[in-house]
Amino acid sequence: NGMDTLQPLETTISDKERFRDSVPLELSCPNCITKFAFGGIVASRYYRCVYSGIQCSNCDHIMTPIQVTSQVERVIRAHISLYYAGWVTCDDTTCGNVTRQISVYGKRCLMDGCTGIMSYKYSDKQLYNQMLYFQSLFDLQKNKLQTLKPLYHSGDKNEPEKPLSNSEVQALAEQNRPLFETSKQVVQKYLSDCGRAYVDMGSIFDFMQT
Amino acid sequence: DAKKYKFRTMRQSLLDAADVLDEQIDIFTEVIQKHHNLKASDIGDPTFQQQSEVYTVGRIVADSVSAEGSLNVDSLAIETSRSTGIGRRIRLNFEKVQDLSVFPGQIIGLRGKNANGEYFVVEEILKVPYLNFPVSDAETLQNSQITLNDQAMKVVVTAGPYTAANNLDFSNLADFVERINSSIKPHVLVMFGPFLDITHPLISTGNIPEFPSLKQQPKTLDEIFIKVITPILRRINPKIQVIVLPSTKEVSSKHAAYPQDSLDRKYLGLPKNFKCFTNPSTFQLNEIFFGCSNNDIYKDLKEVTKGGNVFQRNRFDRVSEHILEQRRYYPVFPGGIRTRKIEDKNGKPIFEHISGADLDLPYLGLTEFVGGIIPDVILIPSELTHFARVVQNVIMINPGSFIRPNGGRGTYVEMSIEAPDMENEKMTKVEDVYLHNLWKRSRIDVLTA
Ligand SMILES: [Zn+2]
Ligand SMILES: [Zn+2]
Repeated sequence: NGMDTLQPLETTISDKERFRDSVPLELSCPNCITKFAFGGIVASRYYRCVYSGIQCSNCDHIMTPIQVTSQVERVIRAHISLYYAGWVTCDDTTCGNVTRQISVYGKRCLMDGCTGIMSYKYSDKQLYNQMLYFQSLFDLQKNKLQTLKPLYHSGDKNEPEKPLSNSEVQALAEQNRPLFETSKQVVQKYLSDCGRAYVDMGSIFDFMQT
Repeated sequence: DAKKYKFRTMRQSLLDAADVLDEQIDIFTEVIQKHHNLKASDIGDPTFQQQSEVYTVGRIVADSVSAEGSLNVDSLAIETSRSTGIGRRIRLNFEKVQDLSVFPGQIIGLRGKNANGEYFVVEEILKVPYLNFPVSDAETLQNSQITLNDQAMKVVVTAGPYTAANNLDFSNLADFVERINSSIKPHVLVMFGPFLDITHPLISTGNIPEFPSLKQQPKTLDEIFIKVITPILRRINPKIQVIVLPSTKEVSSKHAAYPQDSLDRKYLGLPKNFKCFTNPSTFQLNEIFFGCSNNDIYKDLKEVTKGGNVFQRNRFDRVSEHILEQRRYYPVFPGGIRTRKIEDKNGKPIFEHISGADLDLPYLGLTEFVGGIIPDVILIPSELTHFARVVQNVIMINPGSFIRPNGGRGTYVEMSIEAPDMENEKMTKVEDVYLHNLWKRSRIDVLTA
């Protein structure tokens, strides 16, 4: 089945497609504890990027860099810890076994008579993509090109009235350069230890050799 | 070997994990077989209905895959290895056993019979032998004696958190450093993280307070370590050897899994008298072997017990014996997890993951006792009440948290270890080497931090 699993080079996939399963980065306003999904320099009813940072629309508090980066780091670590909780799931839909027990055969389902195949519920690929998604939110280039995964589908009740203008995005990106670069480094810290990132490099070369 | 901990994280393969889980059973099968003088053919498959008794070795598991949390003596099963029972599991019946303490993940040897194909009736739990104690030759001991100038070696042990749950105020740690330098004056200070806990409530909400002593506020959590914690630690007298072990909740560790790589001393700006060790790690101070692990096995090991003799004993002693018997610092599987009940968008209760033991299964081999010996002293911090106990002639210590969540002073441990003296009746000579008998030579105090 080599041909079925042949994927296009990952770099050619749009962020919208690649991050389809990634969950939003939820930030909490330290002043009024309102929670909101942060989607980069984009329109939102809950926050706005201003020249001096990210501002809560509910109470107008502008978050300091550490108030942003500490939450980014906390969220990443929660994802890594969830990954290491090691939940596994059966691929047989009539079984639906979800557990943290692992058979000495690894992929064998422990339900009586089930011939399904077990795999990690939170796969390393998903975790890797999740971190790439967080990184993309603070990527100035992607923000400026406006290629980020959208926060809302059209028709969502929380969808903002109108998008930011291109010139607003360009200006805000430059004004927030230090904050975004620092935040991106926080994500990079974990990507640098992520085994998947290095495996991907290898598989690209494998692909070119064959 | 510290280099082995340099593996990249977040890349577990289920097959590698399963290999490790299978291997654990095979290793103990050999140990138990040897100790009880059994032939390889005496070890049988307990999952088959049989007329005769068999000996078997496997892993204690819950009898239902969906079982999370509370287990009891009627809800346990044994999992066989690939070679003993092609990985099959069978329910256990402990009716005939008077006293027991078992837990999920434990590798156990049993004698019993599966008469009906439904369950295995246990007649006897086979003893797993303890590893040997370390020994030293006369020259090594003499060197220790000379190094210490016949004085006692003083070792102080602390464990995080080092701030209360509602602030990031490290002034108690700063005060402690003053006391370390002026009055406590240990030879060695062992410090366990977390120094800055990623699950600290103020970090979760992004509510990081200002640090009034700093002109420029930190922009990242790593900068809090470097600008706030490092300057305090740097004040420790450079003549004191400081050993630092991380926690998987440590902010400044990007290796958020157990076994865990050491902290980066240079990046954090820690001086040369600091040694950053892996978690877990085994090291020697003079002749003495220290085993250290920073994963809360005393909280996470949930025993299933039966029998009056078991209940009469101290729980910390029972858990310690399990650790010694299993020969690894965190023998529970699946590892502990901490969750919080919240409501989803529709008001339905769901569990949000907070933290856990974060076991990297393919590397669990690194959490086994090193070199086929039991350390003289084992340090494992726990959220539970501090203790220092001698269990099977091993000193087991939980120093307790340095600060309580409410900000109250926690505890630390002071060990005073007499220099070895071969003329002294406290040393035991075995042929031409000596047992360290640390438990006879040590005084341990749990003190208010
Ligand atoms: Zn607000
Ligand atoms: Zn299944």
